[in-house]
Amino acid sequence: MKSKIKKIINNMNLSRVRFWIQLFSFVLFVYGGYFAIDLGSKLPIFTCPYNEQSGATCYLIPLQHQLSMPAQILLGGAGISVIVGLVTFLFWFIFLNKAWCGYVCPFGTFQDWLTSLRKSMGIRYSTYTQNQFERLSKIKYVLLAIVLLAPLLMGVGALGSEWSAAFCQICPARIISPMFSGDLSQWKIDFSTKTSMILTAIGMIFAGLFLVGSFIKKRFFCFFCPMSALHFIFSKFSIVQLTKDGSKCSTCGDCYAVCDMQIKDIADDVKSTNILRDDCILCLKCVAACPENDALHFDIFKIRAFSSTREGFEKRMGLHKPKGDSGE
Amino acid sequence: MKYFAGIDIGSTAIKITIIDENKEMVGHRISGSGSMFYNYAHQTLNDLLKDLNISKEEVLYTVATGYGRKLFKEADENISEITANAIGAVAAAKEFGAIKTIINIGGQDSKAISLDEMGNVVNFAMNDRCAAGTGKFLDACAMNLEIGVEELGERHFNSKGTPLSINSTCAVFAESEIIGLLGNSHSVEDIVSGVHYSIAKRIVKLVKRVGIKEGIYFDGGPALNGGLVNAIENELGKKIFIPTYPQVTTSFGAAILGVDSYNYQSVGV
Amino acid sequence: MHEHKIETPNEKQNRHKAMESVNVLNTLKEGFKTPPKAMDYFYNLFEDVYCNQKALHKDKVKVGTMCIQIPSEIIYALDGVPIRLCNGFYTDDEIGSDFLPQKACPLVKASVGHLSSKNLTDKPDMIYSPTTCDQKTKAGTLIASFGYEVVDVDFPRTKESEISREFFRRSIREFSADLSQKMGKKLSRKNLKASISKIGYAQSLYHQISEFRKNKIVPILGNDIFLVTNAFFFDKIDNWIEATEKLVEELEQRVKDEVNAAGKISPRIVYTGSPPIFPNYKIPLIIEDSDGIIVADETCSSNRMFNDRVAVDEWFVNDMIDSLADKYLKACTCPVFSKNDDRIRRIVELVRSHNADGVIYQAFAGCTVYELEQRSVLEAMEREGISILYIESDYSPSQHGQLSTRVEAFIESLKIKNRNKK
Repeated sequence: MKSKIKKIINNMNLSRVRFWIQLFSFVLFVYGGYFAIDLGSKLPIFTCPYNEQSGATCYLIPLQHQLSMPAQILLGGAGISVIVGLVTFLFWFIFLNKAWCGYVCPFGTFQDWLTSLRKSMGIRYSTYTQNQFERLSKIKYVLLAIVLLAPLLMGVGALGSEWSAAFCQICPARIISPMFSGDLSQWKIDFSTKTSMILTAIGMIFAGLFLVGSFIKKRFFCFFCPMSALHFIFSKFSIVQLTKDGSKCSTCGDCYAVCDMQIKDIADDVKSTNILRDDCILCLKCVAACPENDALHFDIFKIRAFSSTREGFEKRMGLHKPKGDSGE
Repeated sequence: MKYFAGIDIGSTAIKITIIDENKEMVGHRISGSGSMFYNYAHQTLNDLLKDLNISKEEVLYTVATGYGRKLFKEADENISEITANAIGAVAAAKEFGAIKTIINIGGQDSKAISLDEMGNVVNFAMNDRCAAGTGKFLDACAMNLEIGVEELGERHFNSKGTPLSINSTCAVFAESEIIGLLGNSHSVEDIVSGVHYSIAKRIVKLVKRVGIKEGIYFDGGPALNGGLVNAIENELGKKIFIPTYPQVTTSFGAAILGVDSYNYQSVGV
Repeated sequence: MHEHKIETPNEKQNRHKAMESVNVLNTLKEGFKTPPKAMDYFYNLFEDVYCNQKALHKDKVKVGTMCIQIPSEIIYALDGVPIRLCNGFYTDDEIGSDFLPQKACPLVKASVGHLSSKNLTDKPDMIYSPTTCDQKTKAGTLIASFGYEVVDVDFPRTKESEISREFFRRSIREFSADLSQKMGKKLSRKNLKASISKIGYAQSLYHQISEFRKNKIVPILGNDIFLVTNAFFFDKIDNWIEATEKLVEELEQRVKDEVNAAGKISPRIVYTGSPPIFPNYKIPLIIEDSDGIIVADETCSSNRMFNDRVAVDEWFVNDMIDSLADKYLKACTCPVFSKNDDRIRRIVELVRSHNADGVIYQAFAGCTVYELEQRSVLEAMEREGISILYIESDYSPSQHGQLSTRVEAFIESLKIKNRNKK
């Protein structure tokens, strides 16, 4: 019985399962407001409250607000609220680890849909070269630094109030998320101060880049996402993990070939057991594309919930007995 | 009349040839050498002379050759079988044209001899340490297959399938291989042709050592086996010449040398 | 005396090949316990092709490949038939000796000899030569001098680097374009996907057989498997699939009936090194003749052809081509690469998963890359506590006795080790 269930899971059509989970989450977080759903403000995904119908709030917003409190307040009693906020965030986070990105984040889902649109138009995706990849993937830490430092500097008075939620001002989610409920009002530049003008202008550029970028490049934005960087700091503590048995790996690169995030280690690193890298969105496409039994697996509480199997691979890749008409 | 005798005492047979002063063959005789081959040699010579109506005194010069040549003390001279073979082959192959390469398969060895334009030996190679690729090997195979040696040629040409390889280099191991093939009910014909090809390949290797030159002559008892001749020709990819009496070429050569020696001697005196 | 014609060189070559073939086929059929019935297809196939010179692909464009790295998926998609030209005949090896140094690899010499004779039943219309080892690389040019159309396909010698990956992807794109132009046919999503799927299915059959060989009771000889995988070099793919399906079915039954192809205490062997290519099954035959059973192999004539799979994310032609290029480079455990930890890991994995008692590593004398890698593999096996025997051999039928003595002694030592364990 147990092995039967295992087999069903390992043979599943991952992309279909994922599509439905993503659709459900998208509706939940983007249109949750219509159903009076509010999952709080500490979620580890880009569910942006600038969209008035969103069913929850991205943690980066309260985090920036809390950090921007004047230093003496922050170091006093208010510090507790920061810690509570962080704990709440972590509470959400440890359940899914980076699968929040791959399965739940509406902003991620939106990129996947742009990818589907491109695919249906028969246009091929682009990739970064390895050098570009290495440089670009550092940007998210710069952005995370902006998320954390701008409010802190504001709190100590080094920056003016126009720097409040500085990251949000450049974040493409602020501009694009409201569009899901028909609100185009964020497509504007705030001319109130010079700083706001620059920040919102950058935001506009990012939003434009986002739309174009994610059309031609799979999960374009996720390379730069500061939330992803924040995740990675805590990912070790999660109950779900992506692990690898290097002795079973033939370094064939199948996993690497299908990886939206171009993570080379997934194929070439045969020593690490924990193979979750900072760019990973835990979409599990690698596990689904791995032809070796048990080389890659998705663990919950160290129990293998979804493993790569030869059989599952063959099913998903459509390697079936040829019909008379095909090929020869 | 003047007659000359060549006596070739080999491991399996004694071959004697009598020629006249014009170096034309008058008669020859072959008999098994057996354990007492000194006696047999005498007897064979006597028998042959009797048949030919030649008295012992008429035989002016006797040359012995072959492994047992030293034991035939009455000989006027003895020479190695390489030289004798070369001289005999050149004379026997007159109708065939000039010969450059001689293949000889004897009872317990096989040889390849390379000649120059004048018929002198320039190089030779021998397989003398092992019975594989010799007449003895053929005898043993025929015995295992329970057929006569003389049947081998006919069987070879009746082979319908692919010749079966005999892998063992060693005649003794080859025997067990043949028994194995028989056990798996392969046809005797395919085994026979396989045996022939395994000898042929070995012979061709030997010939390659001295260099294959056009004008190839094959003698020795096994040359009577058409199947083996066919196999060697195929492996060489060349036609080879078989004399009318392939077994006696060497003794013929010894006798010819006898004529020359006799003449030289008489002139010298 | 019989009147007979003397064979032409080609007739002689054919006869030699027939003799070599029959010799191996007979040993397989008669030298061991009853082989699976489904093997008859393969025995007959080899007899047809090598004894009766039967052409299999008369009306097809035949695309010769000098090494494993030319994706057969692409050739099939373009309606060609891939024919792998790696050769195992001693007679061809001898012919090839006229063109290559005496000390060159017999496999390369045999391939060159075969092509130089122009005596091919399925003569390739064009040949693609990946620049893998030195000897194959040079052989490509030599073969072109015989009048064949030979196209070099650039192949990198490192595989970890991204540069190599990109390089080989470009190389395979070039190859696809070149072949597509020659065939007058375009690669499409449909035809390429269909052929990837077909080859993938063929591979999955091999994997099913591998599973049976992991059992305690091994239902089939390693030599028979070599024959099956070797047939993939040249057989009609649909026939091959059908015959192998039957074999899988029969083996499944054999597993149920506990039919053992080996002896009761036959040590389980993983074979690695220079590829046994029909009819040069010299070492594999000695192994199984000495009461060993080959349960797995790490060679480019068998395991490596089937082990590595293609994964495609978006089924566009370009994406498929790139994935194919990755398959033939990244997973490849050929010793031509600078580093080769992957090969060692593969051998160890095969030993563990197939519960093998030892490894036999053959290198052809002259097959430099395998000779070079011998040391590191031996050291690694020692570290892992796996017994290994290294043998050097060639295509000649001699030195059989010496080799079999060494193999026998090794296998006996494994038996003794097993006994002492219990």
